[in-house]
Amino acid sequence: MTDTETKQKSPGAWQLFLQGREARWKNFIENWKIFRSNSLSTIGLVLIFLFGIMVFAHPILINTVWNPRIYDPYLGYDPDPVTHPSPPSREHIFGTDGMGRDVFSQVLYGARMSFSVGIAAAITAVTLSTIFGGLAGFYGGAADLLLMGISDVFILMPVLIILLLIGVLVKLNWLAIAIIYGILSGLGRQAIVIKSHTMSIKNKPFIDAARISGGGNFHILTHHIIPNLLPVALVHAVITVVGAVLTESLLSFFSRTHDYMTWGSMIWLGQKTFRWFALSGQWNALIPPALAIMLFCSAFFMVGRALDDVINPRLRNR
Amino acid sequence: MARFIIRRILRGVITIVIFQTLLFGLIQILPYDFTTFLVLQPESRRLAQSELGLNLPVWQQYFKWLGDFFRLDLGLSYIAWPTPVIDVLAGRVSRTLLLFLTASILAYIIGIWLGKLVVWQRGGWFEFNFTLVGVISYTSFAPFLAFVMLNIFGYYLRWFPYQRLIDHNVWYMATVTPEWVITRLVITGFISMSLLFFLSWFSQRFNKKFTSWSIRIWGTLLIALGVWGFWKLSGQGWLAVSILDHLTLPLVSVILLSFGETMLLMRTTMLETIGENYILLAKAKGLPSHIIRDRHAARNAFFPVLTRLVLNLPYVIIGSLAIELVFNWQAMGVIVFQAIEFQDIPLLMGILSLVGIMALVGHIILDILQIYLDPRLRYNEVN
Repeated sequence: MTDTETKQKSPGAWQLFLQGREARWKNFIENWKIFRSNSLSTIGLVLIFLFGIMVFAHPILINTVWNPRIYDPYLGYDPDPVTHPSPPSREHIFGTDGMGRDVFSQVLYGARMSFSVGIAAAITAVTLSTIFGGLAGFYGGAADLLLMGISDVFILMPVLIILLLIGVLVKLNWLAIAIIYGILSGLGRQAIVIKSHTMSIKNKPFIDAARISGGGNFHILTHHIIPNLLPVALVHAVITVVGAVLTESLLSFFSRTHDYMTWGSMIWLGQKTFRWFALSGQWNALIPPALAIMLFCSAFFMVGRALDDVINPRLRNR
Repeated sequence: MARFIIRRILRGVITIVIFQTLLFGLIQILPYDFTTFLVLQPESRRLAQSELGLNLPVWQQYFKWLGDFFRLDLGLSYIAWPTPVIDVLAGRVSRTLLLFLTASILAYIIGIWLGKLVVWQRGGWFEFNFTLVGVISYTSFAPFLAFVMLNIFGYYLRWFPYQRLIDHNVWYMATVTPEWVITRLVITGFISMSLLFFLSWFSQRFNKKFTSWSIRIWGTLLIALGVWGFWKLSGQGWLAVSILDHLTLPLVSVILLSFGETMLLMRTTMLETIGENYILLAKAKGLPSHIIRDRHAARNAFFPVLTRLVLNLPYVIIGSLAIELVFNWQAMGVIVFQAIEFQDIPLLMGILSLVGIMALVGHIILDILQIYLDPRLRYNEVN
């Protein structure tokens, strides 16, 4: 009799896991509904998905349908239309640029670079800001003074100028830009925001409960503080992607990078070509990359804003 | 309170020293120095190096620079030898302020106003479209937007000039320098803008619609008359008109690029205030909708937006390199670019430390203001 009662009161580990999964799933569905209620967020997700397809489409197309001699983003040349740049046609959806290369292929190729820059920068920034902000907010005192002192310095740095300065020193590629951008933005404003969130989490009752039941500092940090910081960190990661991609495009527009085929450098080339062929008005080499940058950044931005609505209940449309 | 302010300022001084050290180190590890760019014999190069103080050990250069910096002496620029850095910057600051400060203030006004409207009419086509416009404005690529504006309104439609700022057809018989005109444009612009702000604040104190509107209209007319009279008396009005004509396109581009950020921020903060109880009370009292919006919801949502403005204003000094290059607006951003290219250490350090100090002062002021406004923070910080 007593045996069965205790069994009913304390479910086994497997049952606990199942219940937890169910609760998490319900929570996810609820959050998904809030996320979907903002119509812009759906557009953003679809756009990100499309850009993801573009990343994988380019190598597949180059290996199967497209002739690499014509469609290679760097070295391709189409001898068929005699005058380059040529307007959109059946072979070249966005036409060709001044050197006879296919613009559509270049746009597809540039998506890879932008995704890499954005994601690398976001990972760097979020890792650094979670570590710095979490430690400073949790321990306080000397750690706070030291870590936030570093933050105070980094918040003063104008990112673009620091990147231009470093660009004289080393050859910047996408990884260097992403990591430097991640360090500057992660240690600057983001760390301060994460710190204030940590301080508000630290004062909640469940932290006291964990401490009473014997949890050490490290356990509380890894099992309670950081999981609760993750939603905030995710929003910041998504917003960092926007800034990183815009900065990278600007740098490659100024031809300060050593990745020669990105959306920014395409705009630079298209603008040069535009000046040479001013009368014909070659918009077709210029608009696709610019539109790509804008749509890519706004997609991430809209998703970030919708995530912000999800984690911050005060923002939901009432 | 006083203890907190002193501690915050001391921390600020330490911060600025570390900031300078990092930047100085960054510049020092660049693989060449300024004399590399001069075509010189080896011994003349050595002479030039000793003239500029580049042959000293790095730590001596650093301490010399730091000492000069705290004595408010930024040294001589290498590019424009022997002009002091301060003078090089002062020659360009009026152009930067005329374009970027005006643009950012206008963008903030437009952004706050649109954000207010978007929140107030939420859930319809208005909110959807304007949020979309804000996102597009925030994420569009600056050089491309500038290029499109230049081509459509300058080249195709010919509404605005797209050639150089100093149009020779206008300026060939001018008796003053362009800087003279631009500086006075900035000054008159700011005096009239602050008078307009004062007017709008003053006219809100009158509850009668007729009184407030007549104050607004007559005040605006008086300010316009004053500005017109100033330029009429100085006799250089036609030059100012030429400069304003050239200013329009870059100004509109910068506003288009930057109003979205403010609008979205205003929307976010106002959505937070709109659920508060005092809004409900104001509605229950039967106040008109626009008064609840302007005096109760927007005013309480204003502080975070103001914070962003104060934090962003120092970077206005650097301007936007992309806009300046496309419109050929020779202001501060182009100088920064040249200083980086030719490793003009004093000029670069001068600009960056100026920006750093301004940003730091902004941060300190905001911190003190926050502590002053929120007693809970005061307790936490001081004790």
